[in-house]
Amino acid sequence: MAKPTPLMLRINHLADFKPTAMSRAWVSIPNPNDIPLIATATSEKSVRVYSLRNFTLHSKMDKAHERTVKSVAWKPTTGKGRTKMSLATGSFDSTMGIWQRREQFGGEVASNSMDGEDQEMEITSSGKPKSHRNTDGSDAESESSGEEEWEYSIVLEGHDSEIKCVSYSPSGQYLASCSRDKSIWVWEEIGEDGDDEWETVAVLQEHEADVKCVAWRKDDGNGELLASGSYDDTVRLWRGDEDGEWSSVAALEGHEGTVWALEWEPEAVQKLFANSTGQDDGDEYSRPPKRLMSSSADLTIRVWSKTPTPPPPNRPSYFSNAGIPSTMRPGPNMETWTCSATLPTAHTLPIYSISWSPLSGRVCSTSSDGFIVVYEERTTGRTSVGGAIEREWVVIGVLEGAHGPYEVNHVTWAKRYDPGSRPNEEMIITTGDDGAVRAWFITDIPQAGVESGIGEITIS
Amino acid sequence: MAFSAKENANPTILSASDLPSHRQRRKVNEDSSKQHGIRELLMGRPSYAIDPFYLSDYSDTDSDDSAVEPIDEEEIYDLIAPILDPEHPLSLESLGVVKLQDVHLLSPPDPTNPAALSRVLVELTPTVSHCSLATIIGLCVRVRLDQALPPSYRVEVKIKKGTHNSSEDVNKQLADKERVAAALENANLMSILRNMMKPCLET
Repeated sequence: MAKPTPLMLRINHLADFKPTAMSRAWVSIPNPNDIPLIATATSEKSVRVYSLRNFTLHSKMDKAHERTVKSVAWKPTTGKGRTKMSLATGSFDSTMGIWQRREQFGGEVASNSMDGEDQEMEITSSGKPKSHRNTDGSDAESESSGEEEWEYSIVLEGHDSEIKCVSYSPSGQYLASCSRDKSIWVWEEIGEDGDDEWETVAVLQEHEADVKCVAWRKDDGNGELLASGSYDDTVRLWRGDEDGEWSSVAALEGHEGTVWALEWEPEAVQKLFANSTGQDDGDEYSRPPKRLMSSSADLTIRVWSKTPTPPPPNRPSYFSNAGIPSTMRPGPNMETWTCSATLPTAHTLPIYSISWSPLSGRVCSTSSDGFIVVYEERTTGRTSVGGAIEREWVVIGVLEGAHGPYEVNHVTWAKRYDPGSRPNEEMIITTGDDGAVRAWFITDIPQAGVESGIGEITIS
Repeated sequence: MAFSAKENANPTILSASDLPSHRQRRKVNEDSSKQHGIRELLMGRPSYAIDPFYLSDYSDTDSDDSAVEPIDEEEIYDLIAPILDPEHPLSLESLGVVKLQDVHLLSPPDPTNPAALSRVLVELTPTVSHCSLATIIGLCVRVRLDQALPPSYRVEVKIKKGTHNSSEDVNKQLADKERVAAALENANLMSILRNMMKPCLET
């Protein structure tokens, strides 16, 4: 356990989502389109959708999968006036399900509204005012018919064994799934929106064992990039070329245990550091490629950065291929990635989940050990040889036993929507073996007050 | 993943008659509980502490009142010793697959902390070095302990070093939470495991 002193943050219990699943819950994914909902995949073979506004059950998806639902992914809205919410589920029964729901939570949002801010949020979810809102302001139906509203529109079959993770690309164009069968499938919805026609655009089979997680990077001008983490201890990056041929463009080696989770650097983090150095000209394509973070059973969290190609000219040419076995030498399309940072060690058992906040740039992690740990990246005040400002990761918050004695399978940052929150306030949501989904809010620990506070209580 | 069994090491053979050493070890560990107060203040009260439905696994503190004895190695051994070999109607105990001295328990330094975890390591000795049933025996031991021990126990089942050709592979599988969870949903596998565990449930 790293000494996280002095801790800057206190992690406080905010609420438990009710009612709680009766058995293990695997992940909880907040809706990416500013809709105050979160979807939880459970070993009850169902998905529970909870409201982030009042922490209660909004709706449920069940009776479709024969085994545990391990993973769930919201389809990002395309901004073309979508009227349906869509969600993909990946199950241990080796199938993936696509679910649709008429978007009636615009009403649900308004019904709980205490101020004008919610209206605005509802409008921004698709970029323009929605025309389907109930004009009389009544939204009773969205409350009463919650359970029936999710339509199981199509089942996608192809994997030979348990699906571990599903993920939509940020544009919504692609859906990736990965499995114990060592493969990753990339799917694309073809035809008109809602036609339920899907095509397999790639089956990627270079991992040597179970693929545990997949995560997409937003298009940076070269198309969307897919990262995968595996039981074979490696991370791989994949990309489709102009002809629609998908291939591995990098293998990231270094972890000494199963790679359980991956997170791409949010854009806001890049801006954060760019602003501090005055180098950002506002053009996202001119920024350095987004970094990738991975967590593993080897108890480490690593940050990976793309090495500029060709190699820096100040390196002697005989070093340029050093460390790369001849069979691994990057071809024309290969990229070279290196581990550029390792976060402070703070867990004693496998790290199942990490989340990189798009609001604050902070990272949180959860583990079999039951701890929640929050990290922050800071500039050290030193400048490295190349002229870049050095950064380091520090632990700023620790909470033991987030789910009592149970393992914590998943963690995510989410925006707060509950009545007690400030605008753009973030919270942490954890998902555990006890079936519970818990929300946590963050408060600063006044650094001067910590010691006196302890003193008082110790005396009394 | 290093299992640091050193602190609770039983360098010599642990048998029923050696059990007093168990109690001494716990006393030594009490010292470290003093750090607990500071940490708790920094963290705030964890929610389980105020949850009336939360059941603490440790009602036992440092008192010598043996009315509520914590779980020890021998108890863990008793949970798995009667498991049957999938091929023969013989117990793992009688085949020497599980041995008391290969059951390791690392108790938390502060038993009053309800979130503190206990670590259990069981090392199995397969009957032959290429035994293909090592995985299923290991899975059965892990499932039995996961089901029988309180949720604060983290169970690790390994094939003893040098006793099996592919022990690393088997160990990694047995440590993989998703694989174990998926195995439990496999009806064929579960009926095999249930048969193996039958004697455990009869006693």
